[in-house]
Amino acid sequence: MAARLSRRKITSYLAEQMVAGTPVGQLVLQLAAYLIETKRTSEVGLIVRDIEYELSSRGIVLAQVTSALDLTTATEAAVTKLIKDTTGASKVNLRKFIDPEVLGGVKIDLPGLQLDTTIARRLTTLRTNYKK
Amino acid sequence: MNLLPVTQFAAAEESSGDLMSTLGIDWATLIFQIVAFLILLFLLKKFVYPWLMKSVDERQADIEAASHAATEAQAAAADAEDRVAKLLKKARGDAADIVATAKLESAAALDASEQKAQRRADQLVADAQAEISKEVLAAKKALYNETLDLVTTATANIVGKVVTKEVDVSLINDAIKAVK
Repeated sequence: MAARLSRRKITSYLAEQMVAGTPVGQLVLQLAAYLIETKRTSEVGLIVRDIEYELSSRGIVLAQVTSALDLTTATEAAVTKLIKDTTGASKVNLRKFIDPEVLGGVKIDLPGLQLDTTIARRLTTLRTNYKK
Repeated sequence: MNLLPVTQFAAAEESSGDLMSTLGIDWATLIFQIVAFLILLFLLKKFVYPWLMKSVDERQADIEAASHAATEAQAAAADAEDRVAKLLKKARGDAADIVATAKLESAAALDASEQKAQRRADQLVADAQAEISKEVLAAKKALYNETLDLVTTATANIVGKVVTKEVDVSLINDAIKAVK
């Protein structure tokens, strides 16, 4: 049976392997096998989040971008530049999601940071701030 | 007819020594009767009169005592009547005082109860007004919030249809500029 490693060690190892260029698919398989073996599959969400943190500390940022409509190339470049300027990252990976519920604008989720400029968010703010 | 007694009286004066005999009185019998009478008198005085006098005295004492008792009873009755009259007078006075006091107390109680009822009514009215004000305020607030929800929902529905790709790009670019 595999030794029980701390989540910090696991995420640090995986982040290093990703930076070193190890195929992500292979790393995912290793992680899945290890979590199943040690019966820690419930920690997968936390591990993914920690990996994102580890990568961001190494200059690689995984950003989740949500918008109502598909982003244009120029907009995508502007978002990437914004993320680099904000986090100081050397590489930015965007995961784009289309959600009509946000109505307009963009929501950017970074490890430990969120920028929400969507119309849905503004309406929610309006509703909560002015509600008596 | 009238000459006979005068004649007899004259004859009696002539023979006074035989007067007693003429009258039919016998000295011995007379003395005997006198002695018997004296003895009878003695016996009566010795045995009968004291008893009779005693009975009479007792009867008189009883009568006097009864009379005295009747007088006392009459006096007592008169005294009792006076006292009853005084008591009645005092009782009437007391009753009048009690009635007057009761009237005053009942008037005071009535006044106090009216004041209490008035205060209670005022309090109820004030509470009702406060409750109504509170409910009006709550209704206004609910209406405001519902209006806000309605406005935001309507805005979301309209904006969802109005936003085009160009508008969306413009929004994103504006947001990025604002962040920078």
